[in-house]
Amino acid sequence: MLLYFLDFVVFVGIFAIVALSLNLEFGFAGLANFGKVAFVLIGAYTYALLSQIGVPFYGCLIAGALISAIFGLLISLPALRLRADYLAISVLAFGEILRLIVKSETWIAEGDWGITVSPAISLTGAPPRIDALVNIGLVYSCLFICFLVVQLLTNSPYGRVMRAIREDEVAAEALGKDRAKYKAQALMLGSAMAGVAGGLYAQYLQCVLPGMFMPMITFTVWIMVLLGGPANNWGALLGAALVELFDRGANMAKDYLALPIDPSNLQYILFGALIIFVLLYRPQGLLKESPIKTKALEAVKYGRGAVKNKGS
Amino acid sequence: MEEALLRIREVSKHFGGVYAVNGVSLDVKQGGIWGLVGPNGSGKTTLFNTVLGLYKPDHGDIYFNDNCINNLLPHQIYALGLVNSFQLPRLFLQMSVLDNMLVAARGHQGDKLFNSLFLRKGWQEQEKGLIEEALEILELVELDKWAFSLAGELSGGQRKLLEVARGLMAKPALLLLDEPAAGINPVLGKSIFQKLKDLSRNGTTFFIVEHRLEILFEFASWVYVMDKGKMVTAGQPQAIIDNPAFYQAYLGEE
Repeated sequence: MLLYFLDFVVFVGIFAIVALSLNLEFGFAGLANFGKVAFVLIGAYTYALLSQIGVPFYGCLIAGALISAIFGLLISLPALRLRADYLAISVLAFGEILRLIVKSETWIAEGDWGITVSPAISLTGAPPRIDALVNIGLVYSCLFICFLVVQLLTNSPYGRVMRAIREDEVAAEALGKDRAKYKAQALMLGSAMAGVAGGLYAQYLQCVLPGMFMPMITFTVWIMVLLGGPANNWGALLGAALVELFDRGANMAKDYLALPIDPSNLQYILFGALIIFVLLYRPQGLLKESPIKTKALEAVKYGRGAVKNKGS
Repeated sequence: MEEALLRIREVSKHFGGVYAVNGVSLDVKQGGIWGLVGPNGSGKTTLFNTVLGLYKPDHGDIYFNDNCINNLLPHQIYALGLVNSFQLPRLFLQMSVLDNMLVAARGHQGDKLFNSLFLRKGWQEQEKGLIEEALEILELVELDKWAFSLAGELSGGQRKLLEVARGLMAKPALLLLDEPAAGINPVLGKSIFQKLKDLSRNGTTFFIVEHRLEILFEFASWVYVMDKGKMVTAGQPQAIIDNPAFYQAYLGEE
């Protein structure tokens, strides 16, 4: 039971990184990236292949982030020309294409059989719960760095421009902001973070298999962001924890419920119901969009008695 | 002869078979308020959008400060100092009024990815100055009380005012304003024009489309009249008022 809980904590951490990255792209920059799992896959396979040739784990993670960012730059090219819904479909297809490639090939990573990945920090003979604790340390250090970066970014003039592009890209462009550049940077950053999460995922599960990167991962992360509150980094963390809890809860409940349907589909049915419920009754998510906070803004907001303080 | 700030030469733009703008030429010179009038659908806004790079002209050339700007992207045209405010406000509704203003600020160091993460001290100092500027402009249009409200909470007229204020925040050499006084109470409308006139003495030039002719004609130094995509006549407001071609444009053939 303790091991199950520790496993849960690791998964929350990994998914929180992916949720933060999607929140950066969708919540702040308005880019509907429905191919999130593709970048997790790229990070995971990069990690797996490099660790096989003896690259240390931090090198594998950084390389995964960089290669994932390059693919992020690639998908930013259609992102400039396509409307949000068309972008969503094309990137979704991109993710499936990548998964089917690694499933079909045999010369990169053994196709459907996958390859094993050695753990980042191996303690020979240590009990599994110590292993899980080591992973928690590793995952949460990465999560902390990612969270710090997105918090700093989104509370800066750069984040302000991102939000402006989300709100009205024509107006932002007319006010001198190169939307091509900002969209490309947002997708590169988001993809790099997803790549790190992919590396952590691979080394925690100690294998990479095409079956680990089903589109369901993308949708799970979307539910995390929508539930937690788009454009709120704390919301992404909250969403990741709640959805993972919900997922595990439904998984356990299956064993105790007599259902007229195949119980292994219960999660997906509940996920569907959850997303409809959130979009209908709380479209802004559990946490509202956090306003931009910079030192200068705070000084004016709280320093001036005359300024009416609404909208925060 | 005085060099023109904006030179439009034989510009045409058509949508399907309809020529929205048909062979229009005009000059806007440094300083003062320049007007562009004409009945609805005469091509004024299309001409503005073509100048801004939102549409590519089908024919003709547009020069700003002697740079041909036909093929530039809107953000490159902004960089040259040509800015507009839209006819229908295009605000960032989920952002505060002050943030709307700060997006428009020119040369904010923190707009760059690297600076926003690693050179935080530099832009935070700069931002203090920019906020002061923004609040001054907001005071001008009587929106300073709303600085921290979301733009989406403003009324229609206030949104229009914020759209104009955002244009001013960009510190343009030439600001195109599309109906700045539409939907705004007459007293405030007039006082905005008065303030634009004051600002124009400091080197900003304004080129304004306006249907409230009585206000525009009071402040403009030169007015162009368009009808059915073509330039009909031009001149000083006093001369335009007495020009039969101007009445024909508005009231149709006699």
